[in-house]
Amino acid sequence: MKKNLAAVLALAVGVGIIGAGAGLAAGTADDMINARQAEMKVNMKAMKALVSMLKGETPYDTAAVQAAAKSISDAQAEGVAKDVWNTSSQTGATVKSGAKPEIWTDAAGFTEAWKNLDTAVAALSASTDEASFKAAFPALGAACKGCHEKFRAAE
Amino acid sequence: MPRRSRILTSIAVLAVAGLAVAWGMSAPHPLTAAEIPAHQPDIANGKVLFNAAGCLSCHKPGPDLKNVDASLPAGGSPFKTPIGTFYPPNLTPDPETGIGKWTDLEFVNAVQRGISPEGENLIPAFPYTSYARMKTSDVLDIKAYLASLSPVVSPEKQAQIPAPWLLRRGVGLWKHIAFRTDQWQPDPGKPAEWNLGAYIANGPGHCNECHTPRNMFMAFDWSKQFAGGPHPGGEGKVPSLHDLIGRGKYKDASDLASAFQNGEMLGYEDMASGGMGEVQTNLSKLPDSDVQALADYISSLK
Ligand code: HEC
Ligand code: HEC
Ligand code: HEC
Repeated sequence: MKKNLAAVLALAVGVGIIGAGAGLAAGTADDMINARQAEMKVNMKAMKALVSMLKGETPYDTAAVQAAAKSISDAQAEGVAKDVWNTSSQTGATVKSGAKPEIWTDAAGFTEAWKNLDTAVAALSASTDEASFKAAFPALGAACKGCHEKFRAAE
Repeated sequence: MPRRSRILTSIAVLAVAGLAVAWGMSAPHPLTAAEIPAHQPDIANGKVLFNAAGCLSCHKPGPDLKNVDASLPAGGSPFKTPIGTFYPPNLTPDPETGIGKWTDLEFVNAVQRGISPEGENLIPAFPYTSYARMKTSDVLDIKAYLASLSPVVSPEKQAQIPAPWLLRRGVGLWKHIAFRTDQWQPDPGKPAEWNLGAYIANGPGHCNECHTPRNMFMAFDWSKQFAGGPHPGGEGKVPSLHDLIGRGKYKDASDLASAFQNGEMLGYEDMASGGMGEVQTNLSKLPDSDVQALADYISSLK
Protein backbone atom coordinates (compact mmCIF):
# COMPACT_ATOMS: atom_id res chain seq x y z
CA MET A 1 0.00 0.00 0.00
CA LYS A 2 2.71 2.39 1.01
CA LYS A 3 4.65 1.39 -2.05
CA ASN A 4 1.62 2.12 -4.21
CA LEU A 5 1.26 5.57 -2.78
CA ALA A 6 4.92 6.23 -3.43
CA ALA A 7 4.46 5.10 -7.01
CA VAL A 8 1.46 7.34 -7.46
CA LEU A 9 3.37 10.27 -6.01
CA ALA A 10 6.34 9.57 -8.22
CA LEU A 11 4.02 9.41 -11.20
CA ALA A 12 2.33 12.64 -10.21
CA VAL A 13 5.69 14.38 -9.83
CA GLY A 14 6.78 12.91 -13.14
CA VAL A 15 3.65 14.19 -14.86
CA GLY A 16 4.23 17.53 -13.25
CA ILE A 17 7.73 17.67 -14.65
CA ILE A 18 6.55 16.60 -18.10
CA GLY A 19 3.84 19.24 -17.86
CA ALA A 20 6.37 21.91 -17.00
CA GLY A 21 8.59 20.60 -19.77
CA ALA A 22 5.82 20.99 -22.33
CA GLY A 23 5.25 24.50 -21.10
CA LEU A 24 8.90 25.32 -21.62
CA ALA A 25 9.05 23.65 -25.00
CA ALA A 26 6.34 25.97 -26.27
CA GLY A 27 8.90 28.77 -26.08
CA THR A 28 8.25 32.31 -27.22
CA ALA A 29 5.53 33.32 -29.63
CA ASP A 30 8.16 33.88 -32.33
CA ASP A 31 9.58 30.38 -31.81
CA MET A 32 6.14 28.83 -32.14
CA ILE A 33 5.29 30.80 -35.26
CA ASN A 34 8.63 30.10 -36.92
CA ALA A 35 8.32 26.40 -36.10
CA ARG A 36 4.80 26.05 -37.47
CA GLN A 37 5.64 27.98 -40.62
CA ALA A 38 8.59 25.60 -41.10
CA GLU A 39 6.13 22.71 -40.65
CA MET A 40 3.91 24.21 -43.35
CA LYS A 41 6.89 24.63 -45.69
CA VAL A 42 7.55 20.89 -45.32
CA ASN A 43 3.89 20.29 -46.22
CA MET A 44 4.22 22.44 -49.32
CA LYS A 45 7.40 20.67 -50.38
CA ALA A 46 5.65 17.31 -50.06
CA MET A 47 2.66 18.68 -51.94
CA LYS A 48 4.82 19.89 -54.84
CA ALA A 49 6.53 16.50 -55.09
CA LEU A 50 3.17 14.73 -55.20
CA VAL A 51 1.66 17.14 -57.74
CA SER A 52 4.63 16.69 -60.00
CA MET A 53 4.01 12.91 -60.00
CA LEU A 54 0.30 13.45 -60.44
CA LYS A 55 0.91 15.56 -63.55
CA GLY A 56 3.50 13.10 -64.81
CA GLU A 57 6.32 15.67 -64.68
CA THR A 58 8.25 13.17 -62.57
CA PRO A 59 7.58 9.43 -62.88
CA TYR A 60 5.26 7.81 -60.37
CA ASP A 61 7.19 6.17 -57.52
CA THR A 62 5.50 4.43 -54.58
CA ALA A 63 8.45 5.05 -52.27
CA ALA A 64 8.45 8.77 -53.10
CA VAL A 65 4.71 9.03 -52.36
CA GLN A 66 5.24 7.36 -49.01
CA ALA A 67 8.23 9.54 -48.22
CA ALA A 68 6.16 12.67 -48.95
CA ALA A 69 3.30 11.40 -46.79
CA LYS A 70 5.72 10.58 -43.98
CA SER A 71 7.32 14.03 -44.14
CA ILE A 72 3.88 15.58 -43.59
CA SER A 73 3.05 13.40 -40.58
CA ASP A 74 6.57 13.85 -39.13
CA ALA A 75 6.30 17.63 -39.44
CA GLN A 76 2.92 17.52 -37.75
CA ALA A 77 4.24 15.33 -34.92
CA GLU A 78 7.11 17.75 -34.40
CA GLY A 79 4.60 20.61 -34.27
CA VAL A 80 2.60 18.78 -31.61
CA ALA A 81 5.76 18.06 -29.59
CA LYS A 82 6.77 21.72 -29.73
CA ASP A 83 3.18 22.81 -29.02
CA VAL A 84 3.41 25.33 -31.86
CA TRP A 85 -0.30 26.22 -31.83
CA ASN A 86 -0.32 27.15 -28.15
CA THR A 87 -2.74 30.00 -27.46
CA SER A 88 0.14 32.00 -25.93
CA SER A 89 1.54 32.46 -29.47
CA GLN A 90 -1.19 35.08 -30.01
CA THR A 91 0.61 37.70 -27.96
CA GLY A 92 4.06 39.21 -28.06
CA ALA A 93 5.12 38.00 -31.51
CA THR A 94 7.43 40.08 -33.69
CA VAL A 95 7.29 37.80 -36.75
CA LYS A 96 4.25 37.93 -39.04
CA SER A 97 1.74 35.13 -38.61
CA GLY A 98 -1.17 34.07 -40.78
CA ALA A 99 -2.89 32.29 -37.91
CA LYS A 100 -6.48 33.45 -37.43
CA PRO A 101 -7.97 33.77 -33.92
CA GLU A 102 -10.56 31.14 -34.95
CA ILE A 103 -7.82 28.53 -34.29
CA TRP A 104 -8.42 29.17 -30.60
CA THR A 105 -12.08 30.23 -30.61
CA ASP A 106 -13.11 27.20 -32.71
CA ALA A 107 -10.69 24.63 -31.28
CA ALA A 108 -13.02 21.76 -32.24
CA GLY A 109 -13.06 22.90 -35.87
CA PHE A 110 -9.28 23.22 -35.91
CA THR A 111 -8.86 19.69 -34.51
CA GLU A 112 -11.29 18.45 -37.15
CA ALA A 113 -9.18 20.10 -39.87
CA TRP A 114 -6.09 18.26 -38.60
CA LYS A 115 -8.05 15.00 -38.61
CA ASN A 116 -8.86 15.57 -42.29
CA LEU A 117 -5.15 15.90 -42.95
CA ASP A 118 -4.38 12.73 -40.95
CA THR A 119 -6.98 10.73 -42.87
CA ALA A 120 -5.67 11.98 -46.20
CA VAL A 121 -2.05 11.24 -45.30
CA ALA A 122 -2.99 7.75 -44.08
CA ALA A 123 -4.75 7.00 -47.37
CA LEU A 124 -1.71 8.22 -49.34
CA SER A 125 0.64 6.06 -47.28
CA ALA A 126 -1.61 3.08 -47.92
CA SER A 127 -1.63 3.63 -51.69
CA THR A 128 0.43 1.02 -53.51
CA ASP A 129 0.14 1.93 -57.19
CA GLU A 130 -0.45 4.92 -59.43
CA ALA A 131 -4.23 4.40 -59.54
CA SER A 132 -4.65 4.26 -55.76
CA PHE A 133 -2.28 7.26 -55.42
CA LYS A 134 -4.40 9.30 -57.83
CA ALA A 135 -7.55 8.29 -55.98
CA ALA A 136 -6.10 9.23 -52.59
CA PHE A 137 -4.52 12.55 -53.64
CA PRO A 138 -7.55 14.93 -53.83
CA ALA A 139 -8.33 14.48 -50.12
CA LEU A 140 -4.88 15.86 -49.27
CA GLY A 141 -5.36 19.04 -51.30
CA ALA A 142 -8.83 19.41 -49.82
CA ALA A 143 -7.36 19.16 -46.30
CA CYS A 144 -4.84 21.98 -46.98
CA LYS A 145 -7.44 24.18 -48.67
CA GLY A 146 -10.14 23.45 -46.10
CA CYS A 147 -7.99 24.46 -43.15
CA HIS A 148 -6.52 27.55 -44.84
CA GLU A 149 -9.99 28.78 -45.82
CA LYS A 150 -11.06 28.86 -42.19
CA PHE A 151 -7.94 29.30 -40.12
CA ARG A 152 -5.34 31.17 -42.17
CA ALA A 153 -5.46 34.87 -42.99
CA ALA A 154 -3.94 36.14 -46.22
CA GLU A 155 -0.41 37.54 -45.66
CA MET B 1 -31.66 93.04 -39.33
CA PRO B 2 -28.17 93.39 -37.86
CA ARG B 3 -25.46 92.05 -40.10
CA ARG B 4 -24.41 89.37 -37.63
CA SER B 5 -27.81 87.76 -37.32
CA ARG B 6 -28.27 87.96 -41.11
CA ILE B 7 -25.17 85.82 -41.48
CA LEU B 8 -26.46 83.42 -38.85
CA THR B 9 -29.79 83.17 -40.64
CA SER B 10 -28.19 82.44 -43.97
CA ILE B 11 -25.98 79.80 -42.36
CA ALA B 12 -29.07 78.23 -40.83
CA VAL B 13 -30.90 78.34 -44.16
CA LEU B 14 -27.89 76.83 -45.90
CA ALA B 15 -27.63 74.14 -43.26
CA VAL B 16 -31.26 73.20 -43.66
CA ALA B 17 -30.91 73.27 -47.45
CA GLY B 18 -27.76 71.13 -47.15
CA LEU B 19 -29.58 68.60 -45.02
CA ALA B 20 -32.47 68.54 -47.46
CA VAL B 21 -30.06 68.01 -50.38
CA ALA B 22 -28.27 65.28 -48.44
CA TRP B 23 -31.64 63.74 -47.67
CA GLY B 24 -32.66 63.84 -51.30
CA MET B 25 -29.25 62.57 -52.38
CA SER B 26 -29.40 59.69 -49.95
CA ALA B 27 -32.67 58.46 -51.44
CA PRO B 28 -32.25 55.49 -53.81
CA HIS B 29 -32.47 56.08 -57.57
CA PRO B 30 -33.81 52.88 -59.09
CA LEU B 31 -33.93 51.95 -62.76
CA THR B 32 -37.29 52.18 -64.51
CA ALA B 33 -39.03 49.41 -66.45
CA ALA B 34 -38.14 51.20 -69.71
CA GLU B 35 -34.46 50.66 -68.97
CA ILE B 36 -34.79 46.85 -68.79
CA PRO B 37 -34.15 45.29 -72.22
CA ALA B 38 -36.59 42.79 -73.70
CA HIS B 39 -34.76 39.49 -73.35
CA GLN B 40 -35.36 35.80 -73.94
CA PRO B 41 -33.78 34.25 -70.82
CA ASP B 42 -31.09 31.59 -71.19
CA ILE B 43 -30.95 29.37 -68.09
CA ALA B 44 -27.65 27.68 -69.04
CA ASN B 45 -25.94 31.06 -69.38
CA GLY B 46 -27.55 32.09 -66.10
CA LYS B 47 -25.93 29.13 -64.36
CA VAL B 48 -22.48 30.05 -65.71
CA LEU B 49 -22.90 33.64 -64.51
CA PHE B 50 -24.28 32.52 -61.13
CA ASN B 51 -20.99 30.62 -60.66
CA ALA B 52 -18.79 33.40 -62.06
CA ALA B 53 -20.51 35.87 -59.74
CA GLY B 54 -20.14 33.59 -56.72
CA CYS B 55 -23.71 34.19 -55.52
CA LEU B 56 -23.68 30.87 -53.61
CA SER B 57 -20.60 31.79 -51.52
CA CYS B 58 -22.61 34.38 -49.61
CA HIS B 59 -26.18 33.10 -50.10
CA LYS B 60 -25.43 29.48 -49.14
CA PRO B 61 -27.79 27.73 -46.71
CA GLY B 62 -27.23 28.67 -43.08
CA PRO B 63 -26.18 26.21 -40.35
CA ASP B 64 -29.85 25.66 -39.36
CA LEU B 65 -30.66 24.33 -42.87
CA LYS B 66 -28.62 21.12 -42.59
CA ASN B 67 -31.02 19.06 -44.71
CA VAL B 68 -31.06 21.54 -47.58
CA ASP B 69 -28.97 20.79 -50.70
CA ALA B 70 -25.81 22.88 -50.17
CA SER B 71 -25.81 23.95 -53.82
CA LEU B 72 -29.06 25.91 -53.34
CA PRO B 73 -28.75 29.62 -52.46
CA ALA B 74 -31.25 29.28 -49.59
CA GLY B 75 -29.55 32.02 -47.56
CA GLY B 76 -29.15 32.56 -43.85
CA SER B 77 -25.45 31.83 -43.51
CA PRO B 78 -23.68 34.51 -41.43
CA PHE B 79 -21.55 36.95 -43.46
CA LYS B 80 -19.26 38.97 -41.19
CA THR B 81 -18.16 42.48 -42.14
CA PRO B 82 -16.38 45.17 -40.11
CA ILE B 83 -19.76 46.90 -39.54
CA GLY B 84 -21.64 43.80 -38.38
CA THR B 85 -23.03 40.43 -39.42
CA PHE B 86 -25.40 40.00 -42.38
CA TYR B 87 -27.43 36.96 -43.34
CA PRO B 88 -27.63 37.17 -47.16
CA PRO B 89 -31.23 36.19 -47.93
CA ASN B 90 -32.92 33.30 -49.70
CA LEU B 91 -32.56 33.47 -53.52
CA THR B 92 -34.59 30.32 -54.25
CA PRO B 93 -38.03 30.79 -55.86
CA ASP B 94 -40.04 30.25 -52.66
CA PRO B 95 -42.83 32.85 -53.04
CA GLU B 96 -42.93 33.87 -49.36
CA THR B 97 -39.36 33.68 -48.06
CA GLY B 98 -37.45 33.67 -51.37
CA ILE B 99 -37.60 35.75 -54.55
CA GLY B 100 -40.39 33.76 -56.27
CA LYS B 101 -42.63 36.82 -56.56
CA TRP B 102 -39.96 39.31 -57.60
CA THR B 103 -40.30 41.07 -60.96
CA ASP B 104 -37.36 41.37 -63.36
CA LEU B 105 -37.16 45.08 -62.52
CA GLU B 106 -36.97 44.41 -58.77
CA PHE B 107 -34.23 41.85 -59.31
CA VAL B 108 -32.14 44.07 -61.60
CA ASN B 109 -32.49 46.99 -59.18
CA ALA B 110 -31.24 44.84 -56.31
CA VAL B 111 -28.31 43.27 -58.19
CA GLN B 112 -27.22 46.25 -60.30
CA ARG B 113 -28.30 49.27 -58.25
CA GLY B 114 -28.29 47.94 -54.68
CA ILE B 115 -31.93 48.84 -54.04
CA SER B 116 -34.39 46.45 -52.40
CA PRO B 117 -38.01 46.08 -53.61
CA GLU B 118 -38.98 48.10 -50.52
CA GLY B 119 -36.87 50.93 -51.92
CA GLU B 120 -34.07 50.74 -49.38
CA ASN B 121 -30.36 51.00 -50.13
CA LEU B 122 -28.59 47.68 -49.77
CA ILE B 123 -25.18 47.50 -48.10
CA PRO B 124 -22.34 47.21 -50.63
CA ALA B 125 -20.93 44.12 -48.87
CA PHE B 126 -23.28 42.69 -51.52
CA PRO B 127 -20.98 43.49 -54.46
CA TYR B 128 -23.55 45.25 -56.64
CA THR B 129 -20.95 47.91 -57.43
CA SER B 130 -19.32 45.25 -59.63
CA TYR B 131 -22.53 43.59 -60.81
CA ALA B 132 -23.70 47.02 -62.02
CA ARG B 133 -21.13 46.70 -64.78
CA MET B 134 -22.64 43.45 -66.11
CA LYS B 135 -24.87 43.18 -69.14
CA THR B 136 -28.42 43.43 -67.84
CA SER B 137 -29.34 40.45 -70.05
CA ASP B 138 -26.82 38.35 -68.09
CA VAL B 139 -28.46 39.43 -64.83
CA LEU B 140 -31.86 38.41 -66.21
CA ASP B 141 -30.36 35.02 -67.12
CA ILE B 142 -29.25 34.59 -63.49
CA LYS B 143 -32.81 35.31 -62.42
CA ALA B 144 -34.10 32.67 -64.86
CA TYR B 145 -31.58 30.16 -63.49
CA LEU B 146 -32.63 30.94 -59.89
CA ALA B 147 -36.29 30.48 -60.88
CA SER B 148 -35.43 26.98 -62.18
CA LEU B 149 -34.14 25.83 -58.74
CA SER B 150 -36.15 23.98 -56.07
CA PRO B 151 -37.81 26.44 -53.69
CA VAL B 152 -36.60 26.34 -50.08
CA VAL B 153 -38.47 27.90 -47.16
CA SER B 154 -35.87 30.03 -45.38
CA PRO B 155 -37.13 33.21 -43.73
CA GLU B 156 -34.91 36.29 -43.75
CA LYS B 157 -32.80 36.91 -40.64
CA GLN B 158 -32.20 40.44 -39.39
CA ALA B 159 -28.70 41.77 -39.94
CA GLN B 160 -26.84 42.61 -36.74
CA ILE B 161 -25.73 46.13 -37.62
CA PRO B 162 -25.89 49.41 -35.71
CA ALA B 163 -28.62 51.93 -36.77
CA PRO B 164 -29.61 50.09 -39.96
CA TRP B 165 -31.95 52.86 -41.07
CA LEU B 166 -29.31 55.58 -40.87
CA LEU B 167 -26.69 53.28 -42.35
CA ARG B 168 -28.86 52.61 -45.41
CA ARG B 169 -29.36 56.36 -46.00
CA GLY B 170 -25.61 56.76 -45.54
CA VAL B 171 -25.09 54.21 -48.30
CA GLY B 172 -27.31 56.40 -50.47
CA LEU B 173 -24.91 59.34 -50.04
CA TRP B 174 -21.92 57.08 -50.59
CA LYS B 175 -23.39 55.88 -53.88
CA HIS B 176 -23.15 59.45 -55.25
CA ILE B 177 -19.38 59.51 -54.82
CA ALA B 178 -18.40 55.91 -55.17
CA PHE B 179 -20.92 54.07 -57.35
CA ARG B 180 -20.04 53.64 -61.01
CA THR B 181 -22.96 52.25 -62.97
CA ASP B 182 -21.66 52.35 -66.55
CA GLN B 183 -21.59 48.88 -68.05
CA TRP B 184 -18.28 47.26 -68.89
CA GLN B 185 -17.09 48.24 -72.38
CA PRO B 186 -14.88 45.93 -74.42
CA ASP B 187 -11.59 47.29 -75.76
CA PRO B 188 -11.85 46.99 -79.56
CA GLY B 189 -8.05 46.89 -79.81
CA LYS B 190 -7.85 43.66 -77.83
CA PRO B 191 -8.72 40.05 -78.80
CA ALA B 192 -12.22 38.77 -78.02
CA GLU B 193 -10.86 36.31 -75.46
CA TRP B 194 -9.07 39.07 -73.50
CA ASN B 195 -12.29 41.09 -73.50
CA LEU B 196 -14.26 38.13 -72.20
CA GLY B 197 -11.74 37.75 -69.37
CA ALA B 198 -11.88 41.48 -68.61
CA TYR B 199 -15.67 41.31 -68.46
CA ILE B 200 -15.65 38.32 -66.10
CA ALA B 201 -13.09 39.98 -63.81
CA ASN B 202 -14.64 43.45 -63.68
CA GLY B 203 -18.31 42.45 -63.83
CA PRO B 204 -19.64 39.18 -62.41
CA GLY B 205 -16.31 37.95 -60.95
CA HIS B 206 -16.09 41.13 -58.80
CA CYS B 207 -12.31 40.70 -58.45
CA ASN B 208 -11.95 44.46 -57.80
CA GLU B 209 -13.94 44.16 -54.55
CA CYS B 210 -10.91 42.66 -52.84
CA HIS B 211 -7.94 43.20 -55.18
CA THR B 212 -8.39 46.95 -55.86
CA PRO B 213 -7.64 49.31 -52.96
CA ARG B 214 -10.11 52.04 -52.03
CA ASN B 215 -9.59 55.76 -51.44
CA MET B 216 -10.69 57.75 -48.39
CA PHE B 217 -14.31 57.71 -49.65
CA MET B 218 -14.24 53.91 -49.88
CA ALA B 219 -14.48 54.21 -53.66
CA PHE B 220 -12.25 52.06 -55.86
CA ASP B 221 -8.93 53.77 -56.56
CA TRP B 222 -8.80 52.98 -60.29
CA SER B 223 -5.25 54.36 -60.53
CA LYS B 224 -4.25 51.35 -58.44
CA GLN B 225 -6.56 48.81 -60.04
CA PHE B 226 -5.73 45.24 -58.94
CA ALA B 227 -2.72 46.46 -56.91
CA GLY B 228 -3.96 44.68 -53.77
CA GLY B 229 -4.17 46.16 -50.29
CA PRO B 230 -5.97 45.77 -46.98
CA HIS B 231 -8.66 43.08 -46.99
CA PRO B 232 -12.17 44.64 -47.09
CA GLY B 233 -13.25 42.03 -44.53
CA GLY B 234 -10.84 43.66 -42.10
CA GLU B 235 -8.34 40.81 -41.72
CA GLY B 236 -4.98 40.50 -43.46
CA LYS B 237 -4.00 41.71 -46.92
CA VAL B 238 -5.02 40.95 -50.47
CA PRO B 239 -2.18 40.36 -52.95
CA SER B 240 -1.56 42.33 -56.13
CA LEU B 241 -2.58 40.75 -59.44
CA HIS B 242 0.06 42.64 -61.42
CA ASP B 243 2.83 40.88 -63.30
CA LEU B 244 2.04 37.47 -61.77
CA ILE B 245 4.07 35.70 -64.44
CA GLY B 246 7.02 38.13 -64.44
CA ARG B 247 7.18 37.74 -60.67
CA GLY B 248 7.42 33.97 -61.12
CA LYS B 249 4.14 33.22 -59.34
CA TYR B 250 2.84 31.24 -62.33
CA LYS B 251 4.67 29.80 -65.32
CA ASP B 252 2.30 31.21 -67.93
CA ALA B 253 -1.39 32.01 -68.51
CA SER B 254 -2.29 28.29 -68.75
CA ASP B 255 -0.65 27.69 -65.40
CA LEU B 256 -2.73 30.53 -63.93
CA ALA B 257 -5.86 28.99 -65.50
CA SER B 258 -4.94 25.69 -63.83
CA ALA B 259 -4.53 27.56 -60.52
CA PHE B 260 -8.07 29.01 -60.92
CA GLN B 261 -9.41 25.53 -61.68
CA ASN B 262 -7.58 23.61 -58.96
CA GLY B 263 -6.29 26.09 -56.38
CA GLU B 264 -4.64 24.62 -53.32
CA MET B 265 -6.12 21.24 -54.24
CA LEU B 266 -3.18 21.03 -56.63
CA GLY B 267 -0.55 22.73 -54.49
CA TYR B 268 -1.02 26.29 -55.79
CA GLU B 269 -0.17 28.65 -52.96
CA ASP B 270 -2.14 31.73 -51.93
CA MET B 271 -5.50 30.56 -53.28
CA ALA B 272 -7.52 29.73 -50.14
CA SER B 273 -7.31 32.36 -47.41
CA GLY B 274 -9.39 35.52 -47.07
CA GLY B 275 -12.29 34.33 -49.24
CA MET B 276 -10.14 33.39 -52.28
CA GLY B 277 -10.83 29.70 -51.66
CA GLU B 278 -14.53 30.21 -52.29
CA VAL B 279 -13.83 32.39 -55.33
CA GLN B 280 -11.56 29.65 -56.70
CA THR B 281 -14.19 26.95 -56.01
CA ASN B 282 -16.66 29.02 -58.03
CA LEU B 283 -14.17 29.58 -60.87
CA SER B 284 -13.57 25.80 -61.01
CA LYS B 285 -17.20 25.38 -62.08
CA LEU B 286 -16.82 27.61 -65.18
CA PRO B 287 -16.30 26.30 -68.72
CA ASP B 288 -12.57 25.91 -69.54
CA SER B 289 -12.74 28.65 -72.17
CA ASP B 290 -14.02 31.20 -69.62
CA VAL B 291 -11.29 30.33 -67.12
CA GLN B 292 -8.61 30.57 -69.81
CA ALA B 293 -9.98 33.97 -70.89
CA LEU B 294 -9.87 35.19 -67.29
CA ALA B 295 -6.29 33.94 -66.92
CA ASP B 296 -5.30 35.67 -70.19
CA TYR B 297 -6.68 38.96 -68.94
CA ILE B 298 -5.25 38.73 -65.41
CA SER B 299 -1.82 37.68 -66.67
CA SER B 300 -1.78 40.66 -69.06
CA LEU B 301 -1.87 43.11 -66.11
CA LYS B 302 1.61 44.57 -66.02
C1 HEC C 1 -5.29 22.24 -39.66
C2 HEC C 1 -4.95 23.42 -40.40
C3 HEC C 1 -3.95 23.37 -41.54
C4 HEC C 1 -3.71 22.35 -42.42
C5 HEC C 1 -4.37 20.97 -42.49
C6 HEC C 1 -2.69 22.83 -43.33
N1 HEC C 1 -2.33 24.11 -43.01
FE1 HEC C 1 -0.92 25.23 -43.94
N2 HEC C 1 -1.22 26.75 -42.62
C7 HEC C 1 -2.14 26.74 -41.59
C8 HEC C 1 -2.05 27.96 -40.84
C9 HEC C 1 -2.90 28.35 -39.63
C10 HEC C 1 -1.02 28.73 -41.43
C11 HEC C 1 -0.48 30.10 -40.96
C12 HEC C 1 0.59 29.84 -39.91
C13 HEC C 1 1.22 31.10 -39.34
O1 HEC C 1 1.65 31.96 -40.15
O2 HEC C 1 1.30 31.25 -38.11
C14 HEC C 1 -0.53 27.93 -42.57
C15 HEC C 1 0.48 28.34 -43.43
C16 HEC C 1 0.89 27.63 -44.55
C17 HEC C 1 1.90 28.08 -45.47
C18 HEC C 1 2.69 29.39 -45.38
C19 HEC C 1 3.89 29.15 -44.48
C20 HEC C 1 4.77 30.37 -44.32
O3 HEC C 1 5.91 30.32 -44.81
O4 HEC C 1 4.32 31.36 -43.74
C21 HEC C 1 2.04 27.10 -46.43
C22 HEC C 1 2.98 27.10 -47.62
C23 HEC C 1 1.11 26.03 -46.10
N3 HEC C 1 0.42 26.39 -44.94
C24 HEC C 1 0.97 24.86 -46.82
C25 HEC C 1 0.13 23.81 -46.44
C26 HEC C 1 -0.04 22.58 -47.22
C27 HEC C 1 0.62 22.28 -48.54
C28 HEC C 1 -0.93 21.81 -46.54
C29 HEC C 1 -1.49 20.43 -46.90
C30 HEC C 1 -0.52 19.40 -47.16
C31 HEC C 1 -1.31 22.55 -45.33
N4 HEC C 1 -0.65 23.74 -45.32
C32 HEC C 1 -2.20 22.08 -44.38
C33 HEC C 1 -3.03 25.72 -41.31
C34 HEC C 1 -3.08 24.49 -41.93
C1 HEC D 1 -19.83 38.91 -51.03
C2 HEC D 1 -21.12 38.41 -50.63
C3 HEC D 1 -22.27 38.41 -51.63
C4 HEC D 1 -22.27 37.94 -52.93
C5 HEC D 1 -21.11 37.36 -53.71
C6 HEC D 1 -23.62 38.08 -53.40
N1 HEC D 1 -24.42 38.63 -52.43
FE1 HEC D 1 -26.39 39.01 -52.57
N2 HEC D 1 -26.35 39.91 -50.76
C7 HEC D 1 -25.28 39.92 -49.89
C8 HEC D 1 -25.63 40.63 -48.68
C9 HEC D 1 -24.71 40.88 -47.48
C10 HEC D 1 -26.97 41.07 -48.85
C11 HEC D 1 -27.80 41.89 -47.86
C12 HEC D 1 -27.53 43.36 -48.08
C13 HEC D 1 -28.33 44.26 -47.17
O1 HEC D 1 -29.05 43.75 -46.29
O2 HEC D 1 -28.24 45.48 -47.34
C14 HEC D 1 -27.38 40.60 -50.17
C15 HEC D 1 -28.63 40.84 -50.72
C16 HEC D 1 -29.05 40.37 -51.93
C17 HEC D 1 -30.35 40.62 -52.50
C18 HEC D 1 -31.40 41.53 -51.91
C19 HEC D 1 -32.43 40.77 -51.17
C20 HEC D 1 -33.49 41.66 -50.56
O3 HEC D 1 -34.29 41.07 -49.85
O4 HEC D 1 -33.52 42.87 -50.77
C21 HEC D 1 -30.39 39.94 -53.70
C22 HEC D 1 -31.56 39.87 -54.67
C23 HEC D 1 -29.12 39.30 -53.88
N3 HEC D 1 -28.32 39.59 -52.80
C24 HEC D 1 -28.79 38.56 -54.99
C25 HEC D 1 -27.49 38.14 -55.27
C26 HEC D 1 -27.10 37.54 -56.52
C27 HEC D 1 -28.04 37.23 -57.68
C28 HEC D 1 -25.76 37.33 -56.45
C29 HEC D 1 -24.83 36.81 -57.54
C30 HEC D 1 -24.96 37.51 -58.80
C31 HEC D 1 -25.33 37.78 -55.13
N4 HEC D 1 -26.41 38.25 -54.44
C32 HEC D 1 -24.03 37.71 -54.67
C33 HEC D 1 -24.05 39.36 -50.12
C34 HEC D 1 -23.63 38.83 -51.34
C1 HEC E 1 -13.28 37.99 -51.13
C2 HEC E 1 -12.11 38.70 -51.59
C3 HEC E 1 -11.53 38.26 -52.95
C4 HEC E 1 -12.16 38.23 -54.17
C5 HEC E 1 -13.59 38.60 -54.49
C6 HEC E 1 -11.16 37.80 -55.11
N1 HEC E 1 -9.97 37.56 -54.48
FE1 HEC E 1 -8.27 36.79 -55.31
N2 HEC E 1 -7.41 36.71 -53.51
C7 HEC E 1 -7.95 37.18 -52.32
C8 HEC E 1 -7.04 36.89 -51.22
C9 HEC E 1 -7.26 37.26 -49.77
C10 HEC E 1 -5.93 36.23 -51.78
C11 HEC E 1 -4.70 35.65 -51.04
C12 HEC E 1 -5.08 34.23 -50.67
C13 HEC E 1 -4.04 33.45 -49.92
O1 HEC E 1 -2.98 34.00 -49.60
O2 HEC E 1 -4.30 32.25 -49.62
C14 HEC E 1 -6.19 36.15 -53.22
C15 HEC E 1 -5.31 35.56 -54.13
C16 HEC E 1 -5.48 35.60 -55.50
C17 HEC E 1 -4.50 35.14 -56.46
C18 HEC E 1 -3.12 34.58 -56.14
C19 HEC E 1 -2.14 35.71 -56.15
C20 HEC E 1 -0.73 35.25 -55.99
O3 HEC E 1 0.10 36.08 -55.56
O4 HEC E 1 -0.42 34.09 -56.29
C21 HEC E 1 -5.04 35.36 -57.72
C22 HEC E 1 -4.37 35.06 -59.04
C23 HEC E 1 -6.35 35.92 -57.52
N3 HEC E 1 -6.58 36.06 -56.17
C24 HEC E 1 -7.21 36.28 -58.56
C25 HEC E 1 -8.53 36.68 -58.34
C26 HEC E 1 -9.49 36.85 -59.41
C27 HEC E 1 -9.21 36.65 -60.89
C28 HEC E 1 -10.66 37.21 -58.83
C29 HEC E 1 -12.00 37.45 -59.48
C30 HEC E 1 -12.54 36.35 -60.24
C31 HEC E 1 -10.43 37.28 -57.39
N4 HEC E 1 -9.13 36.95 -57.13
C32 HEC E 1 -11.39 37.63 -56.46
C33 HEC E 1 -9.19 37.77 -52.17
C34 HEC E 1 -10.16 37.84 -53.15
